[in-house]
Amino acid sequence: MPVPPPSRDARRRPVRIAGALAAAGVLLAGSACTVANSGNGDAADTIRIVLPEEPPTLEPCDASLTATGRVTRSNITEALTERVPDTGELEPALATDWERTSDTTWTFTLRDGVTFHDGTAFDAEAAAFSIDRTVDSDIGCNVDGYVFGDGELTAEATGATTLEVTTAEPDPILPLRLSFVEVVPTSTSAEEKVREPVGTGPYRVGTWEQGTSLTLERYDGYWGEAPAYATARYVWRSEGSIRAAMVSQGEADIAVGLAPEDGAGDFAVEFPNNETSYMRMDATQEPLDDLRVRQAVNHAIDKEGLVSSVFAGLGEPAGQVVPEGVTGHNPDIGAWPHDPERAAALVEEARADGVAVDTTITIIGRNGIYPRASEAMEVVQSSLIEAGLDVEIQMLDVNAWLEYLLRPFPADAGPTLLQAQHGNQAGDAAFTMEQIYGSEGAQSSYGTRTLDELTQAAERAQGEERQEAFADALAHQNDEVVRDAVLAHMTGIMAVATNVSYTPNSATNDELRLREMQRND
Amino acid sequence: MLVFLRRRIISGALPLLAVVLGVFFLARLTGDPANLYLPLSATPEMRAEFAARNGFDQPVAVQFLDYLSQIVRLDFGESLRTAQPAAQAVLQAFPATLQLAGATMAIAVTAAVVVGSLAAYRPNSLADRFAGLLSSASASVPDFWFAIMGVLVFAVTLNWLPTSGTDGMGAWVLPIATLLIRPFGVLVQVVRGSMVSALSAPYTRVARSKGADEKRVIFVHALRNAAAPALTVAGDLAVGLVNGAVVVETIFGWPGIGKLMIDSILQRDFAVLQAAVLLTAVTIFALNILIDACYALLDARVRQGVAT
Repeated sequence: MPVPPPSRDARRRPVRIAGALAAAGVLLAGSACTVANSGNGDAADTIRIVLPEEPPTLEPCDASLTATGRVTRSNITEALTERVPDTGELEPALATDWERTSDTTWTFTLRDGVTFHDGTAFDAEAAAFSIDRTVDSDIGCNVDGYVFGDGELTAEATGATTLEVTTAEPDPILPLRLSFVEVVPTSTSAEEKVREPVGTGPYRVGTWEQGTSLTLERYDGYWGEAPAYATARYVWRSEGSIRAAMVSQGEADIAVGLAPEDGAGDFAVEFPNNETSYMRMDATQEPLDDLRVRQAVNHAIDKEGLVSSVFAGLGEPAGQVVPEGVTGHNPDIGAWPHDPERAAALVEEARADGVAVDTTITIIGRNGIYPRASEAMEVVQSSLIEAGLDVEIQMLDVNAWLEYLLRPFPADAGPTLLQAQHGNQAGDAAFTMEQIYGSEGAQSSYGTRTLDELTQAAERAQGEERQEAFADALAHQNDEVVRDAVLAHMTGIMAVATNVSYTPNSATNDELRLREMQRND
Repeated sequence: MLVFLRRRIISGALPLLAVVLGVFFLARLTGDPANLYLPLSATPEMRAEFAARNGFDQPVAVQFLDYLSQIVRLDFGESLRTAQPAAQAVLQAFPATLQLAGATMAIAVTAAVVVGSLAAYRPNSLADRFAGLLSSASASVPDFWFAIMGVLVFAVTLNWLPTSGTDGMGAWVLPIATLLIRPFGVLVQVVRGSMVSALSAPYTRVARSKGADEKRVIFVHALRNAAAPALTVAGDLAVGLVNGAVVVETIFGWPGIGKLMIDSILQRDFAVLQAAVLLTAVTIFALNILIDACYALLDARVRQGVAT
């Protein structure tokens, strides 16, 4: 059938389509302004911070999640006690004093004259409510799992400013644990999590433009010294080099979570970030079930070389996962000396005894666990091959790697060396030993009864005795168990603009205290 | 036309169902979100409680039926991460992506039509060679590299543009430029190719012999006939952009749906992932219908094929 010639009308259609396209373009450009006009109004009175990710929520009982905690903790909400990151000592926050009144009871005296951002007064009822909400509610608080685990406790207001907390088992470090429980008013929902909490902190939540920015405003009724900046504005960029460039271009004052290659230049500030990198050996599998092979792994890896070349000097070779400043750190445990001959000899010795040292050991690595993570694993692999072991590498994403990190472990994985990193943000070795080295620990592939007993005894101890007991347990781990090859205490990088004065510390990654930021005029 | 649309809608619904099914089951193969949402030291009881609270303790088939009955009621569930309705997160992010994609496509199509037509008008001329060089360069530059270099040159070194963000019109320049390079490079080639044959076709000679001026010959007579292949390719490119400009959104901190999707995959935030994929699938489906309708308007043969 012949195609009829186009009518006059049809001939004009392309013009109409072009018109429609142009109109659509104008519409889009118009609506573009709604995104563009989010405005920043950044004056000298605003501190501008760029984070790697948007906080999922500002829920205080999830403050042990880094993305939430570094905005919420000590800025919007506060706890009864506050840990000084470098010394590990506890300082008064919303509680002015505390004492252990019986084996299982602690009594806290609370600060008078403190108000929440909504104007209500802070009292023992609010403190008790906050503890209950965190530990006993059905909302699944991250702090509960992180700090309290199975432990049960009851909090009771015995006066307007006195609070009694009772635990089922004696708990010598309860005041430290409570430094994670952020206090909220009793009007806060106990049935669901809140995105924008009310607290007693120096800043209240201002506007949160989701996906774009979050602003905190200074709370004029704050009980402590007023912070230097009237407003704090957070934005987030996942690219490290962009975060660094924002500080160098004057678009932000502080950028966190940088790597050496992000190019922060003169703005870069290095600080020990409280993380320790280590390789977890699965000592239940041949050949890693042989102590000599585990010692060989430790001697084979050149930690000094790893830190100076792969980590660009950012870090310190280490022999234990608990860094200085954390109760239980043992100053006598140093990094294992690099001794390739000794490593090869130990492997040969094991081979002569019939240990299957030729079995392939798999390094389970995690991309991005720290800067240059896969290069570090290549260094470890080549040192171990040199020592006479057969090693291959498998790099995984976070969730796949977590399957190996946490119990129940994958069956049939064979002997593995897991690339891991541990940060003890709570400041007491109790938060390390059981989960990392306990026979049943969530992240522990192997433990011994003696080490379990040493750990449990240390957990019951208090004060100086506690420090020594944990240090002994760590020494026993290092000398007799040798479950790990510890690599280094890591160093973090942040960028700080010249107009701001801020000194990062080992807690900076988890808690970015705005009141410690000063103008540098 | 209505018959035509009805047929396309019916034939598009099936792939949509396949998308829903695929995303639901594939997402659940990626691992247990409890590992990501609970502290590493969480007890087995806490894990069980987490699973029960989020319905992960049910058999996957039951979870799927629940999900289907929810989306029929336009309830897309709640984000594990932010405890907000998934639909809200997705609807908030989508306009940012659409604006970026729309502006990019409008510029890409306009520029490609002009450059491609001029190149085709005098094949092998200097302008043609220049256009060829430009388009093959832009079609082959990696967008990640281009974006970072753009920031380095225009923001860090020259200080003309902001590094990232959405504040002010300047913030649009680098994201659009990055998104533009590939569609522009591809489209110039397509427009040029089809214009070369259109300009030598008998109807063009007829138009010229009737005394039509050259502008009219190029942009009306030839371009209309050369538009169909360009439309096909442009539609394809637009679909790619609507799907989320992941690299651009990630680098420039653009709060769009591509970034949201990647984040929800990494965070095993199933509800948000499902809602985001469903919304983009529906949009792509609608976009395809629109493109088909444009064909029908452009080409009488397509319309007639439907009518008979």
